[in-house]
Formats: sequence, C-alpha cells, structure tokens
Amino acid sequence: MSENMHDPLTVLSQSKAPATSAEAKKRALSAGMAAFEAAQGQSVQNSAEATKGNRKGARLTSIISILKGNWIMDMRLPIGTAAIALLVLPLGYQLYTSTSMTPGQSTATQTAANTNQAPEAVVPPPPAATPNAMMPVSPDSRGAAATEEAEAPAVAVQEAPAVQQDPMPAPAGELRMRQEAAPQFGNSTIMPPPAAPISVLPGAVARNSDSYMLAAPAEASGDQFTSFEEQRLKVAAEEPVSTFSIDVDTASYSYVRRSLEDGYVPEPDAVRVEELLNYFPYDYAPAPSAEQPFQPTMAVFPTPWNPKTQLLEIGIKGYVPPAGEDKPSNLVFLIDTSGSMDEPDKLPLLQRAFGLLVDQLSGNDTVSIVAYAGSAGVVLEPTKATDKAKIMAALDQLYAGGSTAGAEGIELAYKLAEQAKVQGGTNRVILATDGDFNVGIDDPEKLEDFIKAKRESGVTLSVLGFGRGNLDDATMQALAQNGNGNASYISNFREAQKVLVEEVGSTLHMIAKDVKIQVEFNPAVVSEYRLIGYETRALNREDFNNDAVDAGDIGAGHTVTALYEITPVGSGGELVDPLRYGGDAAAAGGSEEIAFLKMRYKLPDSDVSQLIEQAVTPIVVYDDISAVSDDARFAAAVAASGQKLKGSDYVRGMSWDAIRALAQSGKGADESGYRAEFIQLLKTAALLKPDTAPAPAAEEDACVAAGETDSAC
Amino acid sequence: MGLSAAPQIDHAGALTRALVTRAQNGDAAAFGELIEDHYDLIFRTAWKWCGNRTDAEDVAQDVCVKLGGAIAGFDGRSAFSSWVYRITLNAVRDMQRATSRRGKYADAYAEVTPEDQPADQEDAATSRQLWAAVRQLPEKQRDAVLLVYAEELSHAAAADIMGIKEATVSFHVHEARKTLRGLL
Repeated sequence: MSENMHDPLTVLSQSKAPATSAEAKKRALSAGMAAFEAAQGQSVQNSAEATKGNRKGARLTSIISILKGNWIMDMRLPIGTAAIALLVLPLGYQLYTSTSMTPGQSTATQTAANTNQAPEAVVPPPPAATPNAMMPVSPDSRGAAATEEAEAPAVAVQEAPAVQQDPMPAPAGELRMRQEAAPQFGNSTIMPPPAAPISVLPGAVARNSDSYMLAAPAEASGDQFTSFEEQRLKVAAEEPVSTFSIDVDTASYSYVRRSLEDGYVPEPDAVRVEELLNYFPYDYAPAPSAEQPFQPTMAVFPTPWNPKTQLLEIGIKGYVPPAGEDKPSNLVFLIDTSGSMDEPDKLPLLQRAFGLLVDQLSGNDTVSIVAYAGSAGVVLEPTKATDKAKIMAALDQLYAGGSTAGAEGIELAYKLAEQAKVQGGTNRVILATDGDFNVGIDDPEKLEDFIKAKRESGVTLSVLGFGRGNLDDATMQALAQNGNGNASYISNFREAQKVLVEEVGSTLHMIAKDVKIQVEFNPAVVSEYRLIGYETRALNREDFNNDAVDAGDIGAGHTVTALYEITPVGSGGELVDPLRYGGDAAAAGGSEEIAFLKMRYKLPDSDVSQLIEQAVTPIVVYDDISAVSDDARFAAAVAASGQKLKGSDYVRGMSWDAIRALAQSGKGADESGYRAEFIQLLKTAALLKPDTAPAPAAEEDACVAAGETDSAC
Repeated sequence: MGLSAAPQIDHAGALTRALVTRAQNGDAAAFGELIEDHYDLIFRTAWKWCGNRTDAEDVAQDVCVKLGGAIAGFDGRSAFSSWVYRITLNAVRDMQRATSRRGKYADAYAEVTPEDQPADQEDAATSRQLWAAVRQLPEKQRDAVLLVYAEELSHAAAADIMGIKEATVSFHVHEARKTLRGLL
C-alpha cells in the first residue's frame, strides 16, 4: 500500500463495508448449518455404501476388472491374440501371393504405379513376421511386438506385387497387360487408385470418370426405374417388322429436366427417349374425324449424328373434339399423405396442382378425394365440380404425416369411382404419390391385376409422381399402363400447369386406346434399322393383330412421335456385314417403298381394333435436314440428346453444341416455351456430361476391338 | 489494516485448518464456528462487489449454504479463505447474472461514505465515482481490481482465488486501469 500511495485505486481499500447485521448473520449461519447437516446426512449414507465396492463414479480402469488378479485370465487374451496373429498373418500372406485368388489387375496397376520403385524392391520381404514369432514375449514388449507384427504383413503385401513383377521388362509389357485387363475390368468396381495411374492409363481413367459421372446420380437419388437395354440395331432382311405400342407419358422428361436443373446427370434408366420426344407438342396433320382419330405424318431425312443413315419420323396427332363438346368426367383423387409427402414440392404442390385441375372441370364433372397412408380414408365424397369451395377446402385440409397404413386406399377410390360412374365419359382414379404405393394391396402384381380388372369395368388410372428421392418410377409406369392412363411427373408448378391445364383434354379424354404401330421395312431399300426409344413399349410381331394385347392410349390432341434410324442399302453405313450365303432379299412389294406403316387402335368404347395403313414412299424423303419441318429437326435434336444422356454409342459423333444448334433451328414458334427451356437444358447437360469424357473411351474401345498396336492407343 | 479480513484469517490459519478438518469429519459445531468466523469476510466481500446491503446479505447467506454442502469437498489445496473468496465471488456472479441487476446499484455506495469516511468528504465524491466505475468493469477485471485493491491481497492470492495465473491478474488490473483511465 505504501508504494502505491499515488495509485488512485488504493482508494478502494479505504472504503469499509458496513457492519454485518446480526439478524442477517444469524439467518445465514442457520441456513449454512442446515445445509451442512443435510450434506452430512447424505455423506453418512454415502459412506455407508462406500464401505463395499468401488466408490460410485470412480474411473473404470478396465472392463474386465473382475478378472483382475487372476493371472491366467490376465494373460490369456494378449497371448491368444499374439498366437493367432503369428499363425494367421504368414498364412494369409502366403495365400495372397501364391494362389489364383491374387487379383490380377490390381497387381498390374500397382506395378504401373510402382514402376520406379520396382528395382529397389529386389530383396523379398521375409515371409511375414517369422522372426517376431521367435521373439520371447515379455509382458512389457508384448504390445510393441504385436504392433510390429501387424505392420509387417501390410508392408509385405504392398511390396509383394512389385517383387513378383520384377523380372518383367517394364512399361511396354505392363501396357499390354493393361489392355488385356481394361475391357474386363474397366467397368468393374475394383478400380485402381485414381491418382497414381493417370498418366499411364488414359483410357481406363477416362472410362472410370465416365462411369463415375453416371454413377453419381445413382447414389444421389433413391428413385427406382425399370432398367432396360437400348433398342438394338436390326437387319431388315432378317427382322423386317418392328412393332411397338405408343406411349404418351412424359414423366421421364420432367424427371430428367429436374435432375439436370439440380446438377445431376440422370440415371440412364431414367431417360426414356420416347417420353422426351413426346413431351413436346408437334404440329402434325390433324385427324379428320372422331372415327379415325389420327393419321400419320411421316418424313425421312438425314440423321444429324450419322451422315450415312437417315431418320424416319412417324408422327401422329390425336383428334381434338370440337370445343362445345363436354364429356362428363368422374375423377377420384387418390392422394398419398405419408410423412414423406411433407415437402414443399410434394403435398403442397399437389394441392395447388389439383386446384388447377378442378378449375378446368365443369358442371357435369364430379370429384372425390381419398387419402391413403397417414391420414387415411374418404376425404371428400363425390362432389359436383361446380362446388369448388368444398373441393378446395377438402384439398386444403390434407396434411402429410402419421404412419397409419391407409389399408383400403385404392379399393376405396375405385368404390367411389364406381359410385359416381358416368356413362360416355371419363371415369378415372388419379393417384398422386412420391413413391409410397402402400395403397392397400402390397403385392405389385396383384395391384396391377386389380387395376387391370377395374380397367375392364371402365375405370382407368393415371399416376402423378411428385418429389425426388423416393420416386418409384417403375411402379408408376406399370400402374398407369395397366390402368390405361398416363404417368406424369410433376416437378414444379409449371409442369402441373402443363399436365393438368394445357393438356387436360389429352390427359382425361381418351380418343383411342390400345394404339399399336407396326413398321415393315423393305429390305431392298433399307438394310438396317433401329427404333429410337420405346424400349419399354416393344411388342411382339404377333401382338399387333391380337386385340387382347394391351397397348398405349391416346388422348385428345396428344402428339406421338417415333423415330427410326435407317441405313439405306448401299450407303456404306451398315454396321452388320451382309451374309455370305444370304439369299437374295428381293422385295415383294413395290421396290420404291421404303417401309410400310400399319397402325391399330380401338375407339374408346370398342373392343375391336381398326387398322390404318400407309406406305412410306420416296415422296417423304428429304435430302437435306434443313428442308424438313421444324418439328422433325427438333425431334431429332431431342432424340440425340436423350441418347447422349443415356450414354448411347450411336450419337458419340454429335457434340452438345451441334445438338443445341439443331434444336435451335427446330424451335419454331414455340408458343408454350417448352422448346426454349429444352435448349437451355442442353447447356446444363453439356456442362454436366461434357463431350470430351466419352471420347477417349471410344478410342480405347476401338483399339481393343481392332487389336491395334500399343502406340496407337 | 488490522480490521482487514485477510490478515486476520492468516493469523488464525491454524485454528481455521483445524476447524475445517473437524467440519469435514462431520462436526457441526466446528462448521458453525467456521462460518461464524468467516461470515464477516463473506458479507464484506459481497457488499463490496454488490454495493448494497440486501444483495450482500443474500449472497452471504447463499455462500453459507454453499459452504455447508461443499465443505466436505474442500481439498485444502488453497487457503480456506481463498476458497471462501472464490465461492463468494461465484455467488455474486451467479446472483448478478441471474437478476441482470448489475450496474443498477453501482452508485449505491453513497450509503456508506458518510459513516465510514466522515473526515474525507471531499474524497467521497471521487470514491463514489470510482466504485461505480469499478463495479461496471468486465467481471474478470472487476474481480482482479477489487481483490488486489479493495481486499489488499497479493496478486498471487488473487490469482489463487480467481483460478488464473498471477500474470493474468496483473493483465486484468492493467486492462482495468486502461478502462478507468478517464477517472484516475
């Protein structure tokens, strides 16, 4: 204090606190005593307990403290472990290096990576840890010894392949090995460590990155798709007839668009080229009458991605009933309200989407709502569509959540549909879900049979898919096809508008059912052909005339487009060599005709099919792609992009830029803006799946196939 | 100086230690004696930190209760008085945090100046200002300044109570000086 005389803070010490008040002191002391006695009482209890066993909360030093002091038990574990390690590790090493189990390609690639190290690694490592095995195991060094043993085999394994490969004359030999291995293992999951071999294995790495690009979205989404193989090339002389069912679904395009917008390359199985094609409205010749609900429009023009082949475009547009005609509709919304629907792009979007649909309906339409999974049961009894307030209120009260299985969801929906059934109109159940199909019938096949049976009685089924991550596209497609309805994927409000407002006519008003297309090619003109898309819609040749076989339905104003890539005879673009002993494939019909188109359809209330026939003659052939209609050019661009997204080999030659230019040239008036959107999407696709990626892989394939020299690859 | 608590306890160190041991062994009388001895220290400290009698009495009683529960856990690593200081300071802090009344009574020191410092009226105003300012300091700085200057403890003792290093106490005091520069 003395030395701080001038420190103003010393003032603090001069202030004295007031004297304690006796009363407060007494209170505090008695409170303190009470607390002390309470604590003492507790501690007495504690100490009573504490006399036996460990103090509660004492650190547990060993989980096998029971065995403490029992030296045999103490030693058994470490000794046993050491003994097993000594036995197993050398044995494992022996097996690893000397049996056929040794993975060949990993040896090869490791060698490649270790090329420089190989000469150094001449001395073979001692077979595992035998010296260690002889070491006296003193308790202190036990741990250390065990670690050494654990490390020794690891080192040995790493060095082993290099040692084994040492006698081999370095890089050229390895390269050859690599080429032999590449086709077999290129796509296998056991890939070499990506960093090291980059410079040595360009082909394998490129392919690897390619498959990685494709694999990435598969991990990202939990959506399920039916897997299918691309339509294969067919030789006209062997299989002159191609048969398929039309498909008016567009779910695939919506899904692909959403994936791309989210920054993923869609899974190959998610890309169905025909659904991409049919997403866009085309300006085909209108149908003359309701009795003949459509007529084909055809064109043959050069393939943009292959100068030696041509594209045959077949387009049909469904009959559009005059505006005054208003057929009654009886709609039942079967809505998934499971917990997973509780996302902005699911139930809320669904509610707004159905709101849009209800707005389109008129006085002779009825609407009912059934919810399943979560809040289950009839939400709205059949109600006239004019009572919009009631319908909207029922829609609004839907909420996602709960886990109650809506057991009879689908049966309930069909019961309501039967109840309010209208004659001469549309009776349809519209199932809206994000992928939970626990509608009451668990077995998918039984569900399909049920829907099929109901279809016979006149109630059809459409499926609207929502959200991403849980979407069961395969089931969606199967149900809609069995229900004679369509499957659409509603990714956003705009899409809801397209499906439920602009195309409500075609969605709800079927003008022809079981539409099948059969094309017979003239082998004298066409040597090979390939249908682009429609993989999941292929029919057998005999199914065409069999009215019992189900096929796609077409709604009012629907446009359907199919493209064949055809190789004219003598164009030099044939991929299949002609048969040496093949017979003379002379055409029976007019040799001028390229192909013959047959279409079968049934009118909505008929069970007997009608036939439309038309020959594809040279009249429809265009020599220059710029001469064909905008629609044809745009369709070609869509087909090219779809195949490119799928990783198809046929369109490797066409860059994204070229596709975009083609699409741009075919954009036309584009009143709805869908084509402009597609062109934008192409830019995203080009970024996500660059042109360059597949190119080296193609080279590599070519090299391997042709058995070229090393240097060429 | 003789009235200052700390040296007093130092003198009675041996007695205190004995009392603590007895209290830890469950002797209620010893504990009673112990807190009776320390009540003044606790109250005065609480008063200096809080600046008003009501809060100080509340804190003191709180500390007595805490001592009753915690005495068994006192490990003798620091002086008992340091330990009591620490508990008191914690109690003050808890109380102030709980009620967020800190600063409200910062100028309540006026109550005491006339009776304690009747001779130095001219100093009283400065003193009052200073106390108010010190109580407004951040907790660590306030504790350091009050322990070192109001309680006249060494930096080492203050460090012991605050559970920090001696150098850190000096740092806090230094910081406090900087903060208070306008007043000093």
